[in-house]
Amino acid sequence: MVLYILQGLIWTVIITVGSFAIGSLLGVAVAGARTAASKIVRVLGRIYVEIIRSVPPLVWLFLVFFGLAEIGLKLTPFQAAMLTFSVIASAYLGEIYRGGLATLGRGQIEASNSLGLSRLDLLVRIVSPQVFRTVSPSMVTYGIGLMKDSALASTIGVVEMTFRANQVTQNTGQGLAAFAIVGGAYLLLSIPLGFWARGVDEKMRKKYVVN
Amino acid sequence: MSETSAPYLSAKNITKDFGETRVLDDVSMGINSGDVISIVGPSGAGKSTFLRCINLLETPTSGLLEIGDFKISIGPGHKSATKKELSTLRRNVGMVFQSFNLFPHLTVMENISLAQKRVLGRNDDEAKERAMTLLDRVGLRDKADQYPGRCSGGQQQRVAIARSLSLDPKVMLFDEPTSALDPEVGAEILSVMKELANEGMTMMVVTHEMGFAREVADTVHVMVDGRVVESGNPEKIMNDPEHPRTRKFLGAVLGR
Repeated sequence: MVLYILQGLIWTVIITVGSFAIGSLLGVAVAGARTAASKIVRVLGRIYVEIIRSVPPLVWLFLVFFGLAEIGLKLTPFQAAMLTFSVIASAYLGEIYRGGLATLGRGQIEASNSLGLSRLDLLVRIVSPQVFRTVSPSMVTYGIGLMKDSALASTIGVVEMTFRANQVTQNTGQGLAAFAIVGGAYLLLSIPLGFWARGVDEKMRKKYVVN
Repeated sequence: MSETSAPYLSAKNITKDFGETRVLDDVSMGINSGDVISIVGPSGAGKSTFLRCINLLETPTSGLLEIGDFKISIGPGHKSATKKELSTLRRNVGMVFQSFNLFPHLTVMENISLAQKRVLGRNDDEAKERAMTLLDRVGLRDKADQYPGRCSGGQQQRVAIARSLSLDPKVMLFDEPTSALDPEVGAEILSVMKELANEGMTMMVVTHEMGFAREVADTVHVMVDGRVVESGNPEKIMNDPEHPRTRKFLGAVLGR
């Protein structure tokens, strides 16, 4: 039973890591849109973020899986879960990036421009490392939340841990044991991540005292 | 200062509007190679905005910039500067800011070598060597591996000067470089600037330091309400100002 349930861990990890990775890239575009020079782009970015964050993830998951199937786009449960969580992650991570950008003063951007550094250099060598430093703890916190949300994928039939525990419960009636195993697995995944995030944060703070 | 040869840098008829407000009204200024000019005046006069128009950190509403062979007209009917033009301009014009604006995630050495490598294409050794020479010059050789957060304000500003000099600019712009510092520390920065001037660097300095203007500047321009109201040699302006606004401003800063 333990083994059967833990085999579902791979899907939990794939959905979490995969959608976090895709969301963290799309999030750059979202943050870009939210801080764009053009007002129309800013408003569109705002609408995107608000719509995604206002609807519960479970509803989004059903909308994507059942809704898209109805209009002819039939996704497998795994595809639907990846798509949904990636898009949701892009909205949240985009907002996290935007918060980090706000802590970066205009002065550094001007200094970079006055030195003749290209926009790409500015983004890659000046802005990104600092924003990443500021937001990495929030990103990990969001990642842990995303991992827990990924359990929702069981509702559309992704055979991850929660789904398997549910199966075991239906077949054997040992719900307490089955879900305790799932809970324990989430706990073991979350705690080291949290510690790691705090460690990184403290190390960064010590290294370059932010002024 | 020779009046016959064309100035190395000139900004002509620079006008800048922020929305409805005209912050620069037809400001023209030129500087010969090796000269130092000081731009003084009450706050809000547009001094910093004017300086920032010279390296196009701020795009003027209209005007003409000439720096060496580089010429660009800005305004209705003119194209905006291309990336290449901007890069040429900024490589030749260094800028030092009131708030230092060092990159806090990079060491002092990395702050000074980054643009050398990315903009001038110097290799790591060349960039480091140049950075070390400059750090020696501003007296901060031992700070090379520190992060800016571990340096005092005065040290940060000296690093910022070294960073700007590392690209071998033809002209240096200083935007109130001592305003964020204690007077004592400000004096250190002014002495670094004085040395630079003595070595023949062409400098445009927005400052409240009338002492610096008097000692170092070849020409002082007084700006009030977005216009240059008076220009001339510092002794003349300070001892015998012609414009009533100059007199009022000097009265306030010199306490007389």
